[in-house]
Amino acid sequence: MTLSRKRLLGGAMLAAVAGIALLGPLHGVDPLRQNLSDALLPPGGAYPLGTDHLGRDMLARLAAGARLSFGLALLAALLAAVAGTLLGLLAALRGGWAERMLLGLADAVQALPALLLVVLVTAFAPGAFLPLYLGITLALWVEFFRISRNAAAGVLARPQVEAARLLGFGTGHILRRHLWPEVAPLVATLFAFAAGTAVTTVAALAFVGVGARPPVPEWGSMMTELLPYYAEAPLALLLPALLIFLTVLGLHLLAGRERA
Amino acid sequence: MRVLGGRAVQAVLVALLVGTACFLMVRLLPGDMAYRIAASRYGYDLVDSAAAEAVRQELGLDRPWLVQLGAWFADLSRFDLGTSLASGEEVADALRIQLGHTLLLSVAALFFSLLLGPPLGVLAGLRSGGWLDGVLLALSAALRAVPAFVLGIGLMLWLAVEWEWLPVAGVGGWREVILPALTLALGLAAASCRVTRDAVAAVAASPFFGFARMKGLGDTAAFRRHGLRNAAIPVVAYLGLQLVVLIEGVVVVESLFAWPGIGHALVHAVLGRDIPMVQGTALVMGLLFVVLNALTDLACWLLDPRRRTA
Amino acid sequence: MSLVVENLRITGPEGLLVHGVSFTLLPGEPLVLLGETGSGKSLLAQAVMGNLPPGLHAGGRVVLDGQDILPLPPRDRRALWGRRIAMLPQEPWAALDPTMRAAAQVEEVDRLVHRRSAHDARQHTAARLARLGLDGAGRRYPFQLSGGMNQRVALAATEAAGAGLLIADEPTKGLDAELRDTAGALLRAEAEAGRLLLVITHDVALARLLGGQAMVMLSGQVVEAGHLPVLLDAPRHGYTRRLVAAEPARWQAWPHRQPGRTVVKGRNLRKSLGGRELLGGLDLEVAEGEVVAVSGRSGCGKTTLGNLLLGLARTDWGSVKRGTWVAPLGMQKLYQDPLAAFAPHQALGQGLADLRQRHGLAADAVRHLLPRLRLNQALLVRRPSEVSGGELQRFGLLRALLLNPAMLFADEATSRLDPLTQQDVMMLLGECVQERNMALLVVTHEAALAEKVASRVISLRTAAA
Repeated sequence: MTLSRKRLLGGAMLAAVAGIALLGPLHGVDPLRQNLSDALLPPGGAYPLGTDHLGRDMLARLAAGARLSFGLALLAALLAAVAGTLLGLLAALRGGWAERMLLGLADAVQALPALLLVVLVTAFAPGAFLPLYLGITLALWVEFFRISRNAAAGVLARPQVEAARLLGFGTGHILRRHLWPEVAPLVATLFAFAAGTAVTTVAALAFVGVGARPPVPEWGSMMTELLPYYAEAPLALLLPALLIFLTVLGLHLLAGRERA
Repeated sequence: MRVLGGRAVQAVLVALLVGTACFLMVRLLPGDMAYRIAASRYGYDLVDSAAAEAVRQELGLDRPWLVQLGAWFADLSRFDLGTSLASGEEVADALRIQLGHTLLLSVAALFFSLLLGPPLGVLAGLRSGGWLDGVLLALSAALRAVPAFVLGIGLMLWLAVEWEWLPVAGVGGWREVILPALTLALGLAAASCRVTRDAVAAVAASPFFGFARMKGLGDTAAFRRHGLRNAAIPVVAYLGLQLVVLIEGVVVVESLFAWPGIGHALVHAVLGRDIPMVQGTALVMGLLFVVLNALTDLACWLLDPRRRTA
Repeated sequence: MSLVVENLRITGPEGLLVHGVSFTLLPGEPLVLLGETGSGKSLLAQAVMGNLPPGLHAGGRVVLDGQDILPLPPRDRRALWGRRIAMLPQEPWAALDPTMRAAAQVEEVDRLVHRRSAHDARQHTAARLARLGLDGAGRRYPFQLSGGMNQRVALAATEAAGAGLLIADEPTKGLDAELRDTAGALLRAEAEAGRLLLVITHDVALARLLGGQAMVMLSGQVVEAGHLPVLLDAPRHGYTRRLVAAEPARWQAWPHRQPGRTVVKGRNLRKSLGGRELLGGLDLEVAEGEVVAVSGRSGCGKTTLGNLLLGLARTDWGSVKRGTWVAPLGMQKLYQDPLAAFAPHQALGQGLADLRQRHGLAADAVRHLLPRLRLNQALLVRRPSEVSGGELQRFGLLRALLLNPAMLFADEATSRLDPLTQQDVMMLLGECVQERNMALLVVTHEAALAEKVASRVISLRTAAA
């Protein structure tokens, strides 16, 4: 598959998930409203995607989950990308003690697997959202830092930068014309993968019960709740899994290339 | 050997990080620490201020926090991890049993993934652009987009519930290992297959591989003598990075399959706010990660003469 | 033993790439194919070897020892490799397996092709390596060997299978003059030992070293053929004449001018890199209107010397003083690899516009200089990788000249260019320097080039080679 078609396909997948997120408010049903007499209904009638074991509307819950994943997980990844890239460029440009300190910090964070770090942070307040997202940002910024710092340091060592300085250009110009064109595509690719990691992490932690908890409509915790009812309502279990898959695959395809 | 020295520093870093986090957790948790620990130990109905005071005395929670931090790390350096707040069991004893389970699962998962990933990757890499390459590429892209727990649920419902080939969960004979190990292995295999393919394709296109053929060596001989080792270097290095996937997967997959390993214990400890247990399990998982990385370094060092002399 | 090529044509998707080439190769008399990059000479070698890139086809006859090998199926062509036809790799340091000891890479040919026992193979290999002056090198890895030693290991491995025909495609690519001479001597010894030898190169000096017959190729056609050195001493075709004249040794010497004010003055310069002393107390002064050349082998510290004078590197000891009249940006540099000296993602015109804006230069400054440097305005919209090496180096000169420098430092600025382009760029550089009465510091590994252009040549020797 060519690169542009890959990206197109990935974009379409993400658009589909985003569409579900937007359908929620239009649909106008409270994702928390229970109606036990309507439990585990197949799609149809008042419930376009059926109901769960407590008779809650699946579409409304999936949409709320999408907003959570898209909104917060992507925000956490974005925050990590901005912070990591800025620090990486700073380290490469400044060098010296600032660079050594940041590299040491990155080593310390990467000494622990990312998920373990997030679990540790969430352990401060299980079920709360803030530590969850802070933990994700804390674990993810390191890769942005490393990739942008290494790429920038590589460019800075090239004759093109020496030539630019000889010609009288300052740091701003070097940043804009020499570093950014090299670093930006790498950061963009990494962002797509990191966002995928963030979405998976939020879902996985919710699934094991450490992250978001019922009744919060999160894809992972929905799967935990619906797992016992796989025989009666396989679709209800499949839908959140499918959305996670589409979101992550869409992001990977959008990245286009392999991560460095 | 400087490499392994770096890993030793990393191990100390892990201990410091986990230790500090857990200490802070104890200090910062909302509400009266002693009261909550007592509650988790005896149940909320049975707790009174006397019980809380006893816990306070026992854990030395009334000392200045710097002294407490010092004592904390002194205990840690002796690998005295205390007793579980939930069960009263020695943390170190519990960890020993759990580590055994986790290692069994990890080794089985690595074994399956090495059986699947690299051989398929070599086949795809030698005929890059062929149909097998295309199929494997799509398959590994799809697999990498499936989180371990979703994959695990799928395998569980399909192989254990529908077909009843394997037990759903738990621990016992070899049959119980297969499902969780397979879940972990598929994710690892998808990554290693892809990396192997790229490494083999790169080696096959390299000038030294071309030269080996020009010297008069056949394709098989050229690949055996010059392809394998050179392709293995990036694969092993990348697998070292991918071990994160294994450690992270262990947390989720053990919980899903009720496999009584470290990851399972960690999740339970976090849920129960059993901080000595959180510290112990996180520490062991972190150190396991460092040890696996050190083994990777060692393998690279053995494979690549440039590292040995540089 | 003989190789007869009759009317060999190579066609690609865009048409005929090599038009009917014929030659006969006999033992003891090497054939040198001369021509510049893209003239189709490498395709010819690949057609004989049987490893043309996909999509290209060869027609005609290639008769090796009485058998036409061109119609043979690929499997049978492969079976000839090493045993009947051998090809010396370009850039041997990349062609040797980085993870295998040198001797093992030669030994395996004896073991796997000749099916010799391990003991026999080891002895054969030891003898072979000793003959090439590589005693003791067999235990080492390629990255522990020098460029010249790697080349000899590659040669030992190439000839191990015992082919009667040896093809060498650009065997001196990336080598300095001294290594080129040893490579030439090695190849000549191969021919004298009775092998058929076909050498492809754009290096006229290598052709002179080898002797035998020569053919000159220009855009897929042989324009001239004959014996060496007659062909090079009395070339008939215009292209051959230009090729010969482009050798630095044949250049007209540049006029020497009266030195003016001092641009920069280095005193007692010392510099060590990685524990090795490159410069041990050197004095150097460069004045307006002067051309000073620094020559020496690669790694002798000549580039470092230039960088010290420009203030791009710091001395360990000694002082660098520039004339008080020299503007802050009054010393500019031309780089060995022009492609690495430009921002790759930016159109050339954009870079020049940035420069104009930064220094408030006149709007038509660039437009005025373009014709002087024989550059087409249409190139401004292209990126650095979309113009030729010669054009890009002239853009490098252009952007330096925009700042009216007092001195230019040309750091092996033409060593990666084809001979004709090299001559072109150097001439242009000389003219510009003279017109503007600038100082020029030339760093080069070619002694002949240094002799012709400079009024003063400083030869740096490596402390311990």
